[in-house]
Amino acid sequence: MTTTFERDVAATLEIDSAHRRSRFSKGLGWGGVTIAVLWFTGDQIGMNPFALIEGADHMWDFLTRMFPPDLSYIFFLGRGLIETIQIAVWGTLLAVMFSIPLSLLAARNTTPLIMLPWFTETWQRLGLHLLVFHMTRMALNCLRGVNELIFAMIFVSAVGLGPFAGVLAIALHATGMLAKFCGEEIEGIDQGQVEALQATGASKMQVILFAVIPQVIPAFISYSIFRFDVSIRSATVLGLVGAGGLGFSLIKTMKLFRYYETATCILVIFLLVGMSDWICTKWRRKVI
Amino acid sequence: MNQESTETTAPLQKRNPTMISLKDVSKTYTGEGATEALRSVSLDVREGEFLVILGPSGAGKSTLMRCINRLVEPTSGSIIVNGREVTSQRRELRAVRREVGMVFQQFNLVKRLSVLMNVLSGRLAYQPLWRSLIYSFDKADKRIAIECLARVNMEHKAFQRADTLSGGEQQRVAIARALAQQPKVILADEPVASLDPKIARQVLTYLKQIAGELGITVLCNLHQVEYAREYAERVVGLSQGRMIFDGPSGKLTDDILQQIYYREAEAGDDHDV
Repeated sequence: MTTTFERDVAATLEIDSAHRRSRFSKGLGWGGVTIAVLWFTGDQIGMNPFALIEGADHMWDFLTRMFPPDLSYIFFLGRGLIETIQIAVWGTLLAVMFSIPLSLLAARNTTPLIMLPWFTETWQRLGLHLLVFHMTRMALNCLRGVNELIFAMIFVSAVGLGPFAGVLAIALHATGMLAKFCGEEIEGIDQGQVEALQATGASKMQVILFAVIPQVIPAFISYSIFRFDVSIRSATVLGLVGAGGLGFSLIKTMKLFRYYETATCILVIFLLVGMSDWICTKWRRKVI
Repeated sequence: MNQESTETTAPLQKRNPTMISLKDVSKTYTGEGATEALRSVSLDVREGEFLVILGPSGAGKSTLMRCINRLVEPTSGSIIVNGREVTSQRRELRAVRREVGMVFQQFNLVKRLSVLMNVLSGRLAYQPLWRSLIYSFDKADKRIAIECLARVNMEHKAFQRADTLSGGEQQRVAIARALAQQPKVILADEPVASLDPKIARQVLTYLKQIAGELGITVLCNLHQVEYAREYAERVVGLSQGRMIFDGPSGKLTDDILQQIYYREAEAGDDHDV
């Protein structure tokens, strides 16, 4: 009895150490491959710390030209500052509105719910709701994949120079992010609550309103606030392509070689981003 | 609660009319490890009956219940609830579901909504969509909800959030939600499996009262024999998807229990039913 038990223990220990050995050698192999790949890519893209050291005096030159910042220039930045915030507010707001229906389409468990009722049975049998789901996800990935600056350039050519192009650029990019995150959040909800509402005979829309939305609303608000913070940051550079905000002053002063004014722009951006971060953190903590 | 139970039925009949009628209902779950959860189950349940479905886990109790309100689509067979075929026609299905309340093992209350809101959500099927869009209910619905809460003695917690309640309280609210549908049938799927014995008895007492006083047909899944003996008028024994007993709880002998619970031991030879 005890001898068989001892033998079982020994066998288990043997298997365990075999597992450890194989894990160790696997780790070693993959670690080696990773280092080799990183080294190779670093070499390819010309990573060279010495270049940085050699170029230090150029950098120093650039910085000294910025110093001292021309603080009086701040009075010319007021409008850009307000515009930056306005772009972020409207961009995020539009994104929130777009992403409510899109996030429902981007979640496997709610796509069948928002299909038009008279098709549902056929759709579901053929798995077509999954097609809708994948197509939505793909579209969202496209939106997320394109940088705001590129969207801004497109919209500047469409609606002309100015903050409206910036608003549209932020709205599109943010929709991609918000709807994807919220779709994932919806996929993680407790399906039991959904089932309970379905069992009462509630319609699909009612199920979404009473079982899905209450479960995701805190996360949705939290993501939206986070996204607003990110939008502020993005909005500060949209001016580089003429889509309004502080970025325009930034690029203008640089092009005119008035670096002491550029420095003021950067300081104002620092301040804005810091403030927005601080406010958003507080705000989110309050919601959660 | 005004229960219009005699409206469609013949009052001259001495025994209550049939409320649920299952004929040769089978369900096979497809996919990997395809299992036959139900094998041609036929069952008639009368109005106002308190029926306990007894069986070990995996016997198909849950599937049987979910076939009745089509949370699960049966593979074959017919199900008639209150004279209406439970078809997969969307419109018809919702009308049937409205008459069939359900109580779950995990309570399945919407945790972030208030107790009252949860009970009111039992009224959704009676409501136009525009009202739901603004999360509003009319006075009559609110009245019904509060009455249902009072029936399970939970009206004093109406404005608390559902996730602040204890398990037993949550299950009582869930019963109130089912009652708010003014149903003909309540399906209770293992309603006491996650509750301690004292609270479990309380919940079962409420369910039994509902059947007795409101004339609602209650189907209750249980896996504990002692509760079945204590509460059931009629017991249906389920094992490996087959009905192997149907009778009053008094006739639930040890021999039959042995059959219900230990048939797995002789799995494979299920030709004998």
